[in-house]
Amino acid sequence: MRKQLATIMRTSSRAALAGAALAALTAASSAKAGGDRALGEYLSAECTTCHQVSGRQDGRIPSIVGWPEDQFVAVIESYRDKHRDNPIMQTIAGRLTNEEVAALASYFGSLKPVR
Amino acid sequence: MSINRRSFMVSSLALTGATVLGAPAVLGQAKPRVVVIGGGAGGTTAAKYIAKDSQGAIAVTLVEENDSYQTCFHSNLYIGGFKPYEAIVHKYDALAKNHGITLAHTRATAIDRDKKEVVLASGQRLPYDRLVVSPGIDLKYDSVPGWSKEAEEAMPHGWKPGKQTRLIKEKLDKVPNGGVIVMVAPPNPYRCPPGPYERASMFAHVLKATGRKDARIIILDPKDKFSKQGVFQPDWEKRYGTMIEWIGPGVNDGIKSVDPATNTVVTGFETYKNCAFVNVIPAQMAGAIAQQAGLAPAGGFCAIDAASMKSTVDPNIFVLGDASIAGAMPKSAFSANSQAKVAAMVIRGELTGARTFPARYTNTCWSLVDTDDAIKVGGRYEPKDGKIAEVEGFISKPGETDEVRKATQEENMSWYAGIIADMFS
Repeated sequence: MRKQLATIMRTSSRAALAGAALAALTAASSAKAGGDRALGEYLSAECTTCHQVSGRQDGRIPSIVGWPEDQFVAVIESYRDKHRDNPIMQTIAGRLTNEEVAALASYFGSLKPVR
Repeated sequence: MSINRRSFMVSSLALTGATVLGAPAVLGQAKPRVVVIGGGAGGTTAAKYIAKDSQGAIAVTLVEENDSYQTCFHSNLYIGGFKPYEAIVHKYDALAKNHGITLAHTRATAIDRDKKEVVLASGQRLPYDRLVVSPGIDLKYDSVPGWSKEAEEAMPHGWKPGKQTRLIKEKLDKVPNGGVIVMVAPPNPYRCPPGPYERASMFAHVLKATGRKDARIIILDPKDKFSKQGVFQPDWEKRYGTMIEWIGPGVNDGIKSVDPATNTVVTGFETYKNCAFVNVIPAQMAGAIAQQAGLAPAGGFCAIDAASMKSTVDPNIFVLGDASIAGAMPKSAFSANSQAKVAAMVIRGELTGARTFPARYTNTCWSLVDTDDAIKVGGRYEPKDGKIAEVEGFISKPGETDEVRKATQEENMSWYAGIIADMFS
């Protein structure tokens, strides 16, 4: 998982900027970890059309299962703030409230990749 | 027709009243029953999410005639030689194994809305507490003069997966260098808005790659504009020169007739004789069963409540995907999958008292233009003033770098694996 997360960090076209921004975002994150898991499970249905809930990764779209919650929050917020440039993720993240981001982080963070 | 063992067990449970749930809508009944008609992107997703999230508290039966699903999405990639046919065929078995869904591989012939029963081809009736109708589209065979059901082999549509998709590829492979392909594009609304134009791209890709550079593709369109037009057309010019020509209604002056015997297409502007092959994509309507059940007007689509995907004519029925009138959402597999999750959430709320949340929807449509060159359009949607409205959208831009287009195609391929896993595992 950490390897996948690291890959996501690396593949951002603004990796350097995002990296710096991430540290700040994580420190001053407005979407706290420990969110509403049931809400997260419902919202996750928006993610699982592309990101496989099993944690399997086929090609470019990464696994988002089992991440540390604060890092999940930081990545979503970097899309929301448009520091990352995938328009699909910007659109998805842009409509999420802090509570919803925390809920998603809680839900996906609670899952373990199927081996 | 086959109803498997699980179906028999469900019936037995219902008879004995073995399990009583404290469900608000069906208090005192053995187990709430959901029947899903149609095993496409909407139906499989709804069946899976209802069964999975209710953890056995709802009996789910999926009625689908075929024992495998051949995806319309990415069928153009088969035509373009980017995928083998087997890669777009998927089995339903895991839905029964992993989620306890009863698979009824038969045709639903009618919906008895008064009795809340689905009538199967065998005459057997499946009672339901909630019904999900996701039958996809039917073709209007009378929408192009001279074309008909009988003519669909001579002039294939390829707009329903299976034999027709293969026929399109067979005919493409026989087009001689210098031959002319005419595509008659459909009027709105129809399944997969960018689909005809991705298909034209795939025709050009195959022709160019096999040295048939003098072949031409003429798209005769009844619409003034089409999905991703501002990106497709510059890309066509860049990739294929003048090989693809799009002719809108202002110039073609309407399709007057086609003659399948001579591969001729007559428009108000010009007559195209001895075409190498003609691809007629006709006007479309909701699948027959939706019309027969009175969920859609004759020749039309099904009105739904934007917050739930519930039919506006029957509160016990939900209509998903291509058969529905989903406001700003296009008729796509991604849309159907998204709508199914909202319906599944509402259905669980009604039948088991599960927690519900405000509806929200998403869609993205990728289209392959050439090798390592894909474009996309999509958005996020919410109920607004009784309709599903777009709240934010995006679209690929003309002139994007090769790197961006390659990444978009990689995303497209990865998404396919994702939605298939979401539907079938």
